[in-house]
Amino acid sequence: MSTVEDRPTTATTGSPREGERRWIGRSVARKEDPKLLAGRATYVGDVMLPGMLYGAVLGSPHAHARIVSIDTSAAEAIPGVAAVLTGAQAAELVNPMPAFCAEPVPQTAVAIERVRYPGEAVAIVAATDRYIAEDACAAIRVEYEVLPAVVDPEAAMAADATRIHETLDSNVAFHRVLDFGDVEGDLARAHTIVRTRARWHRMCASPMETAGAVASWNPFDKSMTVYSNSNFHNFLPWAFAGMLGVSTNRMRMIPCAVGGSFGSKHFITKVLAIAGALTKATGKPVQYMEDRVDNIAANDNVGCDRIYDAELALAEDGEMLGLTLKIVDDYGAYFQFAHGQHGNAMAQPTGPYRIGSLRYDVSCVLTNKVQQGFFRGAGADPGNFVLERLVDKASEVMGIDRAEIRRRNFIAPEQFPFKTPPGNVYDSGNYAAVLDRALELAGIDDWRAEQERMRAEGRYLGIGLATCQERTGYNASEWWFLYDNPPLPATSTPESVKIDVDAMGGVRVEVGCPLWGNSPETVVSQVVAEEFGIDPADVSVTYADSTTGAMSAGPGGSRLTIMLSGATRGAARTIRDKMIRIAAHAMEMDPADVECVDGTFRAKGAPGTSMSMADIGMRAALFFHSTPEDESSGLVAVHTYDHPYSTPPSDDRKDMGAFYPMVSHACHIPIVEVDVETGLVTLRAYYAVNDCGTVMNPTLVEGQIVGGIVQGIGAALMEEYRYGEDGALDTPTFREYLMPSMHEVPEIVVEHLETPSPFTEYGVKGAGEGGRLVAPTAIASAVDDALKPLGVWVDELPMTPERVVNLVQGAGGGS
Amino acid sequence: MKPAAFAYLAPRDLDEALDQLAEHGADARVLAGGQSLVRLMNARLASPAVVVDINRVAGLDALERHNGTLRLGATVRQRTSELSPDVAAHAPLLAEAGAHVAHAPVRSRGTVVGSVAFADPSAELPTALLALDGRVVVRSRSGERTVEADDFFTGPFTTSLAPGEMVVAVEVPVTTAGTGTAFVEVARRHGDLPVCGVAATVTRGDDGRVGATRIALCGAGERPVRARAAEDALTGSDGGTDAVAEAAARASEGLSPIADCHGSADFRRHLARVLTGRALRTAIDRAAGEANDV
Repeated sequence: MSTVEDRPTTATTGSPREGERRWIGRSVARKEDPKLLAGRATYVGDVMLPGMLYGAVLGSPHAHARIVSIDTSAAEAIPGVAAVLTGAQAAELVNPMPAFCAEPVPQTAVAIERVRYPGEAVAIVAATDRYIAEDACAAIRVEYEVLPAVVDPEAAMAADATRIHETLDSNVAFHRVLDFGDVEGDLARAHTIVRTRARWHRMCASPMETAGAVASWNPFDKSMTVYSNSNFHNFLPWAFAGMLGVSTNRMRMIPCAVGGSFGSKHFITKVLAIAGALTKATGKPVQYMEDRVDNIAANDNVGCDRIYDAELALAEDGEMLGLTLKIVDDYGAYFQFAHGQHGNAMAQPTGPYRIGSLRYDVSCVLTNKVQQGFFRGAGADPGNFVLERLVDKASEVMGIDRAEIRRRNFIAPEQFPFKTPPGNVYDSGNYAAVLDRALELAGIDDWRAEQERMRAEGRYLGIGLATCQERTGYNASEWWFLYDNPPLPATSTPESVKIDVDAMGGVRVEVGCPLWGNSPETVVSQVVAEEFGIDPADVSVTYADSTTGAMSAGPGGSRLTIMLSGATRGAARTIRDKMIRIAAHAMEMDPADVECVDGTFRAKGAPGTSMSMADIGMRAALFFHSTPEDESSGLVAVHTYDHPYSTPPSDDRKDMGAFYPMVSHACHIPIVEVDVETGLVTLRAYYAVNDCGTVMNPTLVEGQIVGGIVQGIGAALMEEYRYGEDGALDTPTFREYLMPSMHEVPEIVVEHLETPSPFTEYGVKGAGEGGRLVAPTAIASAVDDALKPLGVWVDELPMTPERVVNLVQGAGGGS
Repeated sequence: MKPAAFAYLAPRDLDEALDQLAEHGADARVLAGGQSLVRLMNARLASPAVVVDINRVAGLDALERHNGTLRLGATVRQRTSELSPDVAAHAPLLAEAGAHVAHAPVRSRGTVVGSVAFADPSAELPTALLALDGRVVVRSRSGERTVEADDFFTGPFTTSLAPGEMVVAVEVPVTTAGTGTAFVEVARRHGDLPVCGVAATVTRGDDGRVGATRIALCGAGERPVRARAAEDALTGSDGGTDAVAEAAARASEGLSPIADCHGSADFRRHLARVLTGRALRTAIDRAAGEANDV
């Protein structure tokens, strides 16, 4: 892997680094690493409570069936089995899973009367170990009446299609058409309209650690303690409490270290409900961890599954005028998160381009598959794929070089902040600079020469190009603004930290977010270090459970560094100001004449007169009479940082408002070789230039980008949920559901440009999803480029060997 | 993903193992490297009542060459075979195919015989054995028999092995000068089971024409299969470009590939043709060369 220079800056972005910063922008060693690398972090699976039982789930073998009867007697008779619960029995202990949708699509953690996707829980078991729990599952006898499976989302839309939910009039749970700008006018005046019918299949996040929880019910005070890898313990703890039938003030949720999430473990209501029902049934703590089969089949967080009919209208000179997107999205059997993925996509559907109008026509369709949720990309991923494919097609059709057509349409640096047709605002950017640097970094001329040389040998080398947005820092309005009458029109996405300086001057930070695979400890330590001039290694960081009142939407939507920077800086400044007042009082000076430098509080211009953090800490802790009259004892501050810039949608939904305005940008150039006979696509090299504003920590950002690109390689070439005609999941394990391994990943060269955000502290933007938001379409572009002599057009991912061979044969090439 | 309860037996010598297999018959499975069986047990796709672990059985780990035959005992690791100078010199196809099996840590546990006995129709080593005209040495309490590779594989994950029997070794005739071999495959990822793979042995006759040819395919049927029409097309030909193309075109004749999420039956037929062409070109080149450079 390449080594990234310590914050490379270029003349093109005007070197935004503030010379006086000491810690922001440095590759400070990741504080989280030692415990993670040594296996000493505490995950859910490490939580051992006295008398704890282990849960397991019996999943449905059918995609769609009525449950005729369930006989649990043989399972209950197995020694070590403490409880066997059917859906009806579980429903007496816990409530249905909370949902964001307005439509009546009830969902319980364990199915009642009917199963709607393969793997849906039919019964759950608690036993003294997981082996016995699985023995018990195998001993449960279920009689099913198999119903027709609805697999094809377009067929599911038919009026006479088998209904997934009788509570709905149709399998189309939601449909809406929104026009922004003069769509018809732009189509009418277009010189060229390029079209594609694109297919983006469902994938899953596949974190190394699956979702899980340990729940412990106390029947005496009706309280419950839950350890989990959910992210929403300090955001929606009341929703979990409601589901578990516990009063909110008797519910304690304790975050555990998380073995990766990629955004897939925000809500994980199912595992909490299963553990919760079993602890209530047994009176003992119960661990339920999905195993890999459970996770793939029933994780409730698979990605988008969309069919696009898209068109891009252009003027004769290549100016992009308007974009229309007609989308059928296969949501699976439930609708827990409503159409939040399309709210998300609405942040950047027109990409980095000055496209004047947009038609967004979305149908959310229910089928007999595990439901969609969120993970890395969160709905914007297929949008980038389709838009960049259309731009490449326009380049080809109109005979304008693909870099040139992008340059002509980029939003220019002086046009920021830029309001996009649907209403979201982009804060800042310099897209042409990123493109130019990427072309330079990749050595594009050398690759073109290599391509020519290889073509003479009958080999097919391709050079990809994609220039994409990465919206970062979401506001909750994305969940609901597609509704006219949303059930929960929330507008908060807060992040809080608590900082205290103790009597010896030690600084402790308590964060509301979990350790979710991100680097909250490192980031807050860098910010504290920056504000106090101390070493980040000296800052202690702990994680707040749900009883502390911490407000935290946590990692998600590439927001964490933005939000933690704001919260930490706010709390640090509150404390620093108080320390300045106390020091000034002690030194008999005006507070305006005291400054904090290198962890000491000293007289401006007379550094010899100073107090240490410990001096002030002790004074604040124990010497009330020696502090200013209106100061309370102690040095504690909580700062809640709310979304830095959001505006509500208009009532007529002609303007969705600013809800995702910190917008990073990247240009990726992958180099592939395609074997036209076998369909194998091999990545030879990969170049990425990224602009996520001020880079907080180059090593951490590189990790995010490289990891995202690897996931994007999976999306481009391998990852796909496949179903048989009977609705059976044909990819139930990692033998069928493939992700890239180290062998499939080339050297990835990453560089950063920095266009600071005017909206955030220090100018940071998010960087958590960009790799995956750009790589799939970039690799598609590379395959197209490789096969250009054959006239191939990629409009479906992943590009499996069979699909590539079919494309080649369809184009009349190959053997 | 936890196995059902089972009894674990760890015999110290072959007689003890054969006694145990005789006693438990079809309820018993032999455990060697465990790289396939344990996975199946965890998924409860196999729930043997008894597992007979042969790793401690003396003498099964021998890799020997006698009288033109290379013999690999039941606990010879795939990695051992792959790195063996004897195998490289005398059965290079086995080494070449073996290098495609999973990843080195898996091959350090997995055994060559285990892969053959498991009889995955997509696996590389059974296919190599078939192309090499190998034999499977089978023992039970009632004695020893030798089964030709052509007769050993009877279907997906099934063999002509009877309850109470175990494979104690596989044998292949050494590859002599004038014979070239090659193994090629298409796998979705490095180390995955191939979507389709081809093992070929081609012998040059004294007249310069192609003599005996064996072509075996994996991922192309319910068991490792011979591409006999392609063999016939190549045998007696000049081994040139046209002959190879003709043989490759006939490689999919009679195939009934199993379709799965990695490839349809048609795609596997297509790959059988493409890969047969590639394997034959390489094998013919090697047959003409000094040695079977792998």
